[in-house]
Amino acid sequence: MIRLQNVSRTYSRDSVPVTALRDASFEIQQGDFVVIRGASGSGKSTLLNILGCLDLPSSGTYMLDGADMSCRGDAELSRIRSQKIGFVFQSFNLLPRTTAIENVELPMIYSGQRLSRVRAAAALERVGLAARQGHFATELSGGEQQRVAIARGLINDPALILADEPTGNLDQNSGAEVMSILHDLNDEGRTIVLVTHDDAVAAHARRALILRDGVVEEAEVTR
Amino acid sequence: MNLPMFFASILRTLRRNPWRGLLMMAGVAVGIASLTILTSIGESTRRETMKRFKNMLGTFDTVLIRPGSSKNRGMVSLTNVEPSLKFEDANAIAAELPEIRQVAEVQNAFDIDVKYRDRNSTPSIFGVSSNWLELRGDEVAQGAFFSEDDVRSLARVAVLGSDAQKQLFPGEDPVGKSIEIGNVPFVVRGVMVPRGAGPAGGSLDNLIFIPVTTASKRLFNRDFLTMLIAQLKDPTQGQVAVDRIASLLRSRHHIAPGALDDFNLSNPRAVMDQVTAMGSTIEKLLRIVAALATGIGGIVIMSITLIGVSERRKEIGVRRAVGASRTAILAQFLLEAVLLALGGGVTGVAIGVGGTQIVSQFQHLPFLIQPGAMLVAITLSIALGLLFGVYPALKAAGTNPIDALRE
Repeated sequence: MIRLQNVSRTYSRDSVPVTALRDASFEIQQGDFVVIRGASGSGKSTLLNILGCLDLPSSGTYMLDGADMSCRGDAELSRIRSQKIGFVFQSFNLLPRTTAIENVELPMIYSGQRLSRVRAAAALERVGLAARQGHFATELSGGEQQRVAIARGLINDPALILADEPTGNLDQNSGAEVMSILHDLNDEGRTIVLVTHDDAVAAHARRALILRDGVVEEAEVTR
Repeated sequence: MNLPMFFASILRTLRRNPWRGLLMMAGVAVGIASLTILTSIGESTRRETMKRFKNMLGTFDTVLIRPGSSKNRGMVSLTNVEPSLKFEDANAIAAELPEIRQVAEVQNAFDIDVKYRDRNSTPSIFGVSSNWLELRGDEVAQGAFFSEDDVRSLARVAVLGSDAQKQLFPGEDPVGKSIEIGNVPFVVRGVMVPRGAGPAGGSLDNLIFIPVTTASKRLFNRDFLTMLIAQLKDPTQGQVAVDRIASLLRSRHHIAPGALDDFNLSNPRAVMDQVTAMGSTIEKLLRIVAALATGIGGIVIMSITLIGVSERRKEIGVRRAVGASRTAILAQFLLEAVLLALGGGVTGVAIGVGGTQIVSQFQHLPFLIQPGAMLVAITLSIALGLLFGVYPALKAAGTNPIDALRE
């Protein structure tokens, strides 16, 4: 499903070039559950952004479902994000002054889906928040907010879920709930790529990649 | 893109940030309201001015001929009027100039004592020929105007202006009653329809009409006239007629080439055009001021939208991550600005209509709603939203989602 070939990403920070990702080459199969580990600043977020079509490689090719993503325009990348990718963030990133169900509906504005309310309600039910539809983000606990965010990530039925430290801001129970939902999604055949520092979270994955100074290496999954 | 949801989401954003929206709308509303008021008041002032001039000048397709050179124009009274215009001049103009359909003769005077029983009044006395009604567009409310025969026979008949009627005959039918004008007895023949206010706001109805011959021979004992009104056959030929009348009168009055005229001519339509042009200059200035106010409204939109863009970087990042293209973000922020500007515009028009009503009441102007002007105001506010929304919207669209999400 995912194939990276010699992908590098170089930023210019204060006109000093910084290489965040160096010559990464690996594949991820459909339905895999991959954890990406590494110290902060090692390039995990850069890699995730490239996988999520939010960022483009400076060199190398990124193939998603057999199509080259390295040189697409904004409109096309946006369409691919909308159709194939669901994001889950560490800080949930729900819109303020917006109810849970409205947050879940958000991606459907851009994908052009119909029957939004019904589908959004089903997605919320799926993460166990059917009763919280009309609540604003500020009225929800952290775990609930993250579950709303997962429902939002799911709403367009993406094949790839990219989660950046999804349990980083959660207590143990909520974290476990979130991980169990991600597990279920993986069981449905969705590909999960998860960035985490947490060994317990990393233990859920089938495969681990580790980043050291922008270099990707295969690693053992510690259980 | 799912457009209904897109719109719904924008409306929701606006609804849930009421203060931001109100502030933005207020700026535009003030501008549009002042623009609406100024335009409406400007227009009704223009129309009212025109009406008053029309009240004074009567019909427009005429040339007014007054004695005296144009240097010393002003109030005409029997004591200071130059005796240069004669009945023969009127006949000559009517007979010799093909541009002229007919000529009315006028000999008038101010402050003449008029009595009816124990009541006194000092209206203007207008000795006029019987074609006055036709040339001036005046109308008789009651009774009748005097006829050609009355003029020929120097009849002592009078037609009262509505103010003169109110002063001399309050609550009484004046027709057939006898009054004294400067100690000469007259029979009241009729009462005129009020003409309304003149350009200065004063009444044009405190007068009494009598036959011009009677005025000349029985009352004032003068053979010169205070005004001639020449009616044009073709209203567009005013200037030609003015030139022809001038040369005819100069030759009749034996004025040497280069010497000043002993009469002056004016074409009401030309006067009206001048008045209208003057009004529109002031109007233009006011409109510039109002346009500036509206522009400031636009700047308010721009600055608040800009603040919104930097406050909502995270939202922009999330929307981009879930599939919004740069164009979608641009459209969202632009549409927000346009909707708020439109809201401000509609509010402004509403305030403007209310304001116009109040101002026209105070200024005694007719209240006048111009749908065209409203449409312009609404269109203007949309344009304002687009113009001042585009820069913040571009800024929003250019926000890097990765940076925005990391913050």
